[in-house]
Amino acid sequence: MADLESRGIPVVGIATTEFIQAMEVQARALGTDPAYVFVPHPIQDRTNAELHALADEYLDRMLKELVSVSAVAAE
Amino acid sequence: MTQLPDTGWVAVVKRDCPTCELTEPVLAALASAGELTVYTQDDPAFPESVPHEYDGTLDVSHGLRIEIVPTLLRRENGREVARTYGWDKAEWRKLTGLATLGNDLPDLRPGCGAKNIEPGIIEDLLVRHGETGLASRKIELGSAEDEIEAMFDRGWSDGLPVVPPTEARVLRMLSGTSRDPKEVIGKVPPDLGDCTVEKVAINAVMAGCKPEYLPVVLAAVEAVLEEPFAMHGVLATTMYVGPVVIVNGPVRRHIGMNSKGNALGQGFRANNTIGRALQLVIRNVGGGRPQEVDRAALGNPGKLTYCIAEDEEGSCWESLAAERGVPEGKSAVTVFAGYGLQGIVDQKSRTPESLAQSFAECIKAVQHPKLYPGADVLLVVCPEHERTFRTAGWSKQRLYEEIYKRSQRPVDEVRPGTMGIAEGTSAFADGTMAPKIRDGGLMIVRAGGGAGMFSGIIAGWSASGEKGSAPVTRVIGS
Amino acid sequence: MTTILDPTSERTVAARPRLARPASLDGLRVGLFDIGKSKGDIFLDRLEQRLTERGLDVKRYAKPTNTRPAPTPLLQQVATEVDVVIEALSD
Repeated sequence: MADLESRGIPVVGIATTEFIQAMEVQARALGTDPAYVFVPHPIQDRTNAELHALADEYLDRMLKELVSVSAVAAE
Repeated sequence: MTQLPDTGWVAVVKRDCPTCELTEPVLAALASAGELTVYTQDDPAFPESVPHEYDGTLDVSHGLRIEIVPTLLRRENGREVARTYGWDKAEWRKLTGLATLGNDLPDLRPGCGAKNIEPGIIEDLLVRHGETGLASRKIELGSAEDEIEAMFDRGWSDGLPVVPPTEARVLRMLSGTSRDPKEVIGKVPPDLGDCTVEKVAINAVMAGCKPEYLPVVLAAVEAVLEEPFAMHGVLATTMYVGPVVIVNGPVRRHIGMNSKGNALGQGFRANNTIGRALQLVIRNVGGGRPQEVDRAALGNPGKLTYCIAEDEEGSCWESLAAERGVPEGKSAVTVFAGYGLQGIVDQKSRTPESLAQSFAECIKAVQHPKLYPGADVLLVVCPEHERTFRTAGWSKQRLYEEIYKRSQRPVDEVRPGTMGIAEGTSAFADGTMAPKIRDGGLMIVRAGGGAGMFSGIIAGWSASGEKGSAPVTRVIGS
Repeated sequence: MTTILDPTSERTVAARPRLARPASLDGLRVGLFDIGKSKGDIFLDRLEQRLTERGLDVKRYAKPTNTRPAPTPLLQQVATEVDVVIEALSD
């Protein structure tokens, strides 16, 4: 993520709640402040239909992380 | 390392000090007479004849605020009650009550500077003991972060690597000035962030300055913050300009600035890092960044660094600083909102009239041959061109007058539409001569070295003078 | 660990700032970046469908293996072809 942002591309990462702590440790070590949206763990045992529902549910939250805060506030 | 004795004598010495070596028998006598703890700063074996502790980290010396060795001090109940330093026989005898102490020694020998206050060491001790007195926010880099990359990532770089401003480096930088780190020297646009001496020092570290450059950087920052320079406008304009720093006076030689060959170019630390430090202050303290408040369409490479030293020794004319009222013997910076370099190539003129006309013709093209007035101009005269004026006995004042006059054009030639070009001036009455440069808008310096009949024009901002930015000169302090 | 001093006027947080975001996604190209964990592609398929329905230009990318950082040529390609990226799915 940090690599793409250094190339000028805003990135939002999607991860499961299981990943929160690892993300925080890594962010601290790298001094970064990555944008993440967390979806409930686990993923592997879900059906395709459940994954699609998850994507639908979290889509707006992901997009919100990709636009500026002021633009969101102005909505 | 043993604790300092609550009660007893303490001596601090180092091998690399003849006075300490001289006092070795005295220390031996004191040791046998009573409670003495000797700390040695450099050689763990010294002094061989007296039991001692090695203060390798210098933490004990620093805690005792030792400045001179040998130091002898008396502690009672955990507090210091007496101290002497160097070798002063009478003083040592009085302090210790030993009337025959040092019978074989001379009466007086001055001590040596203690190791713990040497530059390069004292800073680390102050950092380790949390005594820097620095006010800036400390940022701990992540364990996996590369220091140089971390500076880029936080947006603090001008696009080239910067030196990480550790506390020790900033303390060393501040040793280059007598000013209080907390002193606020102004508000830097566009954010109008308070700029302290300490913030300038941090950015000077990042730029690669030596501590002795700091007074020049401080003067340059103060100069661009003066109201007539209009720093906010210089930053925010869509035109090319940025601050160009011209340095005059003895400081040029003291810190090794280049005013000879490649005077406007790369390769000279003082020139290049001083100009860069100024730009980093604007970026970091002021928040002035390109494509943000800095709206420059093209900018110019001098916005990384643009710092010139005038070759006063090689000039037949008074210096720019002298012209601008700086007293003889003082050093000064002059800041000018300028950009790039436009060449004046004239290898045939042998008379001052012909050469002055060349200068004027080239100046007429500044910004656009039909833009009248154009902008302020900083003219950099190379040695082989200056020689022509020197030989003919032209004063600097004469050259100024000739250029102002010769760079005028008949207004009718520069009206919009003439020459098939829509650009042009609507100012000035028909039939008059239009001045290219406003009164006071021309500055001449002499720089460069060796052969080459190539002078240069550093053009200014269209908004020159009272309607925009005017050059500012400031004496460099300590 | 290195401690450095803040060179700014300290009006902002000391953390490395997040890259500035665009005001809106209108007209921008969105990259969907599959980091290669199982079922991530199913999740991304649906995002692609929804984003395309909203009229956004979507491009798909995938890391060759989730065990290693993405190769630089792939990152360069992403940076030239899209304006923002959604990266999924870490667990």
